[in-house]
Amino acid sequence: MRYYRPATTAQAVAALASQPHTSRILVGGTDLLVAVRHRSAQPTLVVDIKGVRDLTAPISVDEQGITFGPTATMGDVIAHPTVREWFPALVEAAGLVGSVAIRNRASLIANSANGSPAADTSPPLVSFNASVTITSVSGERTSLLREFFLAPRRTLCEPGEMVTSLRVPRPSPGSSSAFERMTRRRGVDLATCSVGAVVDADGAMTVGLGALGPTTLLGGPVAPIDLTSQEQLERAVDALLAPATPIGDIRAGKAYRTAMARVLARRAVLRAAARRTDPDRLTGRSS
Amino acid sequence: MIEQHGSEREALRTVGAPIRRYGGAARVSGQQDFLADLPFPDAAAVALVTLPVACATVTGIDGKRAMEMPGVIAVVSAADLPQPVPRFGISHQDRPVLADGEVLFHGEPVAAVVAETLDQAEAGAREVEVAFEERPGVYNVDQALATGAPLVRDPSRRPEDDENRDSNVLETALYEWGDTTAAAGEAAVIVENTYTFPMVTHFPIEPGGTVAVPTDAGGLDIYSPVQHPYLLQRTIATVTGLPLSQVRVFAPDPGGGFGGKQTPRLEPLLAFLALQTGRPCRLVLSLEQTFQMMRRAACRVKARTGFADDGALIFHELHCDFLIGAYADVAPRVMTKGSYVGAGPYRIPHARTASRAVMSNTTPSTAFRGFGAPQVAWATESQLDAGARALGLDGLQIRRRNLVNVGEAFFRGPYEATADGHWHEALEKAAELIGWGQPLAPGRGRGIAVAIKPGATSGLSQSLVRFLADGSAIAYAGTSDMGQGARTLWQQILADELGSPLDKIRVVSGDTGVVPFDLQTSASRSTVFMGNAVLEACRDIRKRVLALFAESTGVDEAMLSEAPGVLITPDGELSLLEASRIALGALGGEFVGQGTARMRGRKGHPLGGDAAFYEFNCTAIEVEVDVETGELLLHRHVSVSDVGTELNPIQVTSQDEGASIMGLGHSQMEQLLLDDHGVIRNLGALDYRIPTFKDVPVELITHGIENHDGPGPYGSKGISEGALLCTAGALGSAVSDAIGIPIRDLPLTPERVWTALHPDAADHPGGEEPA
Repeated sequence: MRYYRPATTAQAVAALASQPHTSRILVGGTDLLVAVRHRSAQPTLVVDIKGVRDLTAPISVDEQGITFGPTATMGDVIAHPTVREWFPALVEAAGLVGSVAIRNRASLIANSANGSPAADTSPPLVSFNASVTITSVSGERTSLLREFFLAPRRTLCEPGEMVTSLRVPRPSPGSSSAFERMTRRRGVDLATCSVGAVVDADGAMTVGLGALGPTTLLGGPVAPIDLTSQEQLERAVDALLAPATPIGDIRAGKAYRTAMARVLARRAVLRAAARRTDPDRLTGRSS
Repeated sequence: MIEQHGSEREALRTVGAPIRRYGGAARVSGQQDFLADLPFPDAAAVALVTLPVACATVTGIDGKRAMEMPGVIAVVSAADLPQPVPRFGISHQDRPVLADGEVLFHGEPVAAVVAETLDQAEAGAREVEVAFEERPGVYNVDQALATGAPLVRDPSRRPEDDENRDSNVLETALYEWGDTTAAAGEAAVIVENTYTFPMVTHFPIEPGGTVAVPTDAGGLDIYSPVQHPYLLQRTIATVTGLPLSQVRVFAPDPGGGFGGKQTPRLEPLLAFLALQTGRPCRLVLSLEQTFQMMRRAACRVKARTGFADDGALIFHELHCDFLIGAYADVAPRVMTKGSYVGAGPYRIPHARTASRAVMSNTTPSTAFRGFGAPQVAWATESQLDAGARALGLDGLQIRRRNLVNVGEAFFRGPYEATADGHWHEALEKAAELIGWGQPLAPGRGRGIAVAIKPGATSGLSQSLVRFLADGSAIAYAGTSDMGQGARTLWQQILADELGSPLDKIRVVSGDTGVVPFDLQTSASRSTVFMGNAVLEACRDIRKRVLALFAESTGVDEAMLSEAPGVLITPDGELSLLEASRIALGALGGEFVGQGTARMRGRKGHPLGGDAAFYEFNCTAIEVEVDVETGELLLHRHVSVSDVGTELNPIQVTSQDEGASIMGLGHSQMEQLLLDDHGVIRNLGALDYRIPTFKDVPVELITHGIENHDGPGPYGSKGISEGALLCTAGALGSAVSDAIGIPIRDLPLTPERVWTALHPDAADHPGGEEPA
């Protein structure tokens, strides 16, 4: 296994292209090093991109949204004031990844780029209509994140390519969001299922669904409803969860996962909706 | 046992104080050398070859390709060992050094590859070709006891007069007094239920391992972080034919043991590899390998219990099937000892406990904190609650009604056992601390439970103490310090008895070459047994100082006396150091004291002897249940133990907190899940969940009842297991109080609680669905 620390993006993608199927990108290493240790990954080349000088900056804010670079960590995401104000669901999801030590190293982009259907930060990003830029020796292309995921552990990012930025558009004024996750214990755990919800000023709803299908899924948008009507809420939840195809596995049986998806969707929608108008809340409302 | 007096206790300076742990700073800062940290520059690495199934006939092992791999020194299978392949074990010598023609559990090694580096050994292991035929195996109690079930052990390997040889039952136990059948007519209420307790693994943070080093003299030095170095020494000597004097065991302090590091498993293999290659051979286990090497016996208990109108127990009947695994290890003893106290610390006129140790094609189960008691207590405590519900009593009332008083028998018959403490005090204290009877917030429930565990029923601990010329001292005590803080206690005893400053006292353990014999570090025995041996060694030193002082000074011995830290002369008190200087004179030197604590068994006793003491615990929990998700939030968890005397309160608290949290593991989330081939599906930390600090109850309160009535130094008792004995019972009781539905299968995962609340959602809970 060779370790390579390129200085430019061009060098990085050239190195990846030289051994497209056996090279791996190293950023935080919170997944890769574990996989190497367990031999579930046996790369011949590890490309550490932390020394790349022309990499997209970790977090840059403009009027229209936020762009994240590959080295933005979960810790950076949680601490950033604009991210906190605009994307509370993402902050909540990032705050649930691993433990403090993991969050200080783990890359936001890599969490999605790994293509795990249980990734914590992918559901809110999908619900925020995020997009990614993929770079290779032949240039750059951009894709909506919801179209980026193809199958478990398989994405549009082909061998030899890397995701170089993640763009999340500024949410519409008066909207807000919330993230809910079910786990088997309170400490460090993987999601049994998760839901990130965005509720617009007019009440239109969108969700990102984690561990409820082969990839992170988008649910909705669903037209505004009377949130005080239990019946309307249940119908909206039905519509939001329509794309979900929950299965039974070692973390939960199918019936339980299906039921939890409903609970989480309901809770996430109600919390996001309440956040829109809570005057005491300092973060989490778009203006 | 050594007699002590209250006045002596008052003279103590460090005993009873929250002395910081000996070696604690090094342990938490990464300075302590665990086995994996020890340098062996010339060591060869060992990798194990295992099969992807749990039960198979091995028809051929071909190591030729592996031998051609770079760096490979040897490929060893059963055929390369002495024939017949040596087997070892405590009560049954049934475990082969390497799988001998058959694999009986997932992870049982069929061959070992020795190479210059670990990568080379692992690469070599992947090249070993093993031809095998998978056989149908038995992986749970129902499968193992089914008519016509595949037998884990061929009857030809069992004694001809063994009435169970044509079944998977290895041993049985029956404890009975009164007449439960006849008594059923007297009961106002009878409750009958079945309870299950899952297979769980010890999960020591230090997985451990072994390094076997051939010595120039033809012997072996074995490095292994075990709880019983002397048992390992004897096992290695037996399987290799070496004399004990040629086998030296070094046991670096284990990073957690919990009973999982008691019995030898891979050490005999490492010994043979070292002898065959002439090289030090090193194997450091992964966490996944420890899952395959140690676990607690799963258990199914069928219980039938009768109560009088006022809640008094009339009869209690238990059928316990312990799923013990592929080899005996100490599991038959776990079954007999756990069942002995299975009926609980109660006044029961008629009782019958019939238990079986059932073999299965799973990791051999072994000692694990609680030693069989938590499995049966889960059933008994749940039955008490079931009776209370039927009679309109609460959990505290029914336990008050039935819990024995001090001196009263909870086990009847010729080998009766009685309460050796004021257990009602613990019950009442726990009730007070949990706020029993106070109004509950909506969605919450409270539960209370009690349990006991017998301490050691025989034992031998020997200790040497050297009191050096400058007043510093060294204790040689063979107890393994795996985190419980044994060394700290010996340090405290020396400090008080000899007057030596704490920081000038060293404790040497973990080396059979220099430390005298200790039977084992188990059953929370060390405070009592080794504690008394160390205490006796210190007092031996004082007597020797007195005698030599008399000889050196000409003062009549009758005019002298000694007390902790001092020699009392006609001219007044001298510190022991001053007295020893005068006694030793110009030649200098030192004093060596010896102490022994020996407890013989009792012939005919079902446990081989009366327990030296009982660990009694009462746990009470207040829980909030999220009825939408089944998630539990423990608002308060109270654990009160009968401790005799707290020699070091901070260590008692640490043990009680640790055991409480560990008990929440098997109560809330831990379980080993197997697929149809007996392969562990949640092999590793990712999907085998243990509590983290975020899972600890909002308030965790522990308390020790001190009546100075234990057989250990200064009235102490062993305390390391009590706080997990009835965690499950207390939590189960609290959950059923909150949701109005009792759950009888552990662990109480969110999914299981939710499923209890939604009985119509017919589905397999996570992990129980066929793969």
